[in-house]
Amino acid sequence: MFWLFVSHSSKAQTKEFYLTLENHVFTPSELKVPADKKVKLIIFNKDMVAEEFDSFDLNREKVLFPKRKSTIFIGPLKPGNYEYFGEYHPNSARGVIVVEVKDAN
Amino acid sequence: MWSRLLAVMLLISSSAAIADGMVVDKVYHPYVLPNEQEFEWRLMSRQTDSNTLIGQRIAYGQSLSETVMVEGYLIGEKTKTEDFGLQAYEIEVRWMMTEQGEFWADWGMLFEVEKQHKQNDWEVTTGIIFEKEFGRTSLTMNLFGIYEWGETIQDEIEVEFRLKYRYRWMPQIQPAIEIYTGEDYIGLGPAFMGIQRFDGQKQLKWEAGFITEISNSGKDHSLRVALEYEF
Repeated sequence: MFWLFVSHSSKAQTKEFYLTLENHVFTPSELKVPADKKVKLIIFNKDMVAEEFDSFDLNREKVLFPKRKSTIFIGPLKPGNYEYFGEYHPNSARGVIVVEVKDAN
Repeated sequence: MWSRLLAVMLLISSSAAIADGMVVDKVYHPYVLPNEQEFEWRLMSRQTDSNTLIGQRIAYGQSLSETVMVEGYLIGEKTKTEDFGLQAYEIEVRWMMTEQGEFWADWGMLFEVEKQHKQNDWEVTTGIIFEKEFGRTSLTMNLFGIYEWGETIQDEIEVEFRLKYRYRWMPQIQPAIEIYTGEDYIGLGPAFMGIQRFDGQKQLKWEAGFITEISNSGKDHSLRVALEYEF
């Protein structure tokens, strides 16, 4: 019963988007996602060391373990640019989520 | 729906026992990060017409997994008649039950055991932590059940409710409104929190709030300050 309450509105299919972290660089550095929809961001950290995804704009913080895929749920968001970075390599590990009105690919 | 939920929580909390301590403390967030360690210092000062109570806590915390954080506290208190000294110690476990943003809201649980330093008096707290994002604002609520027993206190069950509605303006300054209820106390006031990041996982978080008791006449103000260094 509690779980039904917790998982309310999560039944709708959440669209997945992918990022890769390699040599402390996020690819693609600019990722387009649709506005006003929750999306699932799957980040594959190919490096041998952990990174920490951090974004005040997105209100998310997540440890990306080495050689592992991590999932971050973001949104629903208004159109705009939302920056993020890796706490351990903030100069190279940076990117932006571009939230657009029309459905992004 | 929100107003009904809030009304029920306020009603439950305000029907609890007579005040014997500090209700204003901290509104907990449900999130845990793996590989995290922290030192924490909290100051709570409550001033009424007849008494001034100052409490301080120092703590060390460490995440045990991706979803569980444990923290140990030393608690000191000073009253109008007693000098500052070690009052109690506490162990706290926070459990992040859901992944942030996955469901309609984010949920966590808190478990605490506290023992008075010089008396064989105990307190167990457990409860639910809730957070929901609304654009650039976040609503955080805690509902705790507390059971006290021991040699020098009466067995007592209390319910406390805490609420923070925060505007994520900029990392360093995030203004908020906080509500605390429990032990015949209803308090409300402005607060803010902030964060400054350093290298790697190192970051300093600060929180402060000035809460005024609103259900009784007479002076009853609480100031709370908290600093957390995470590494």
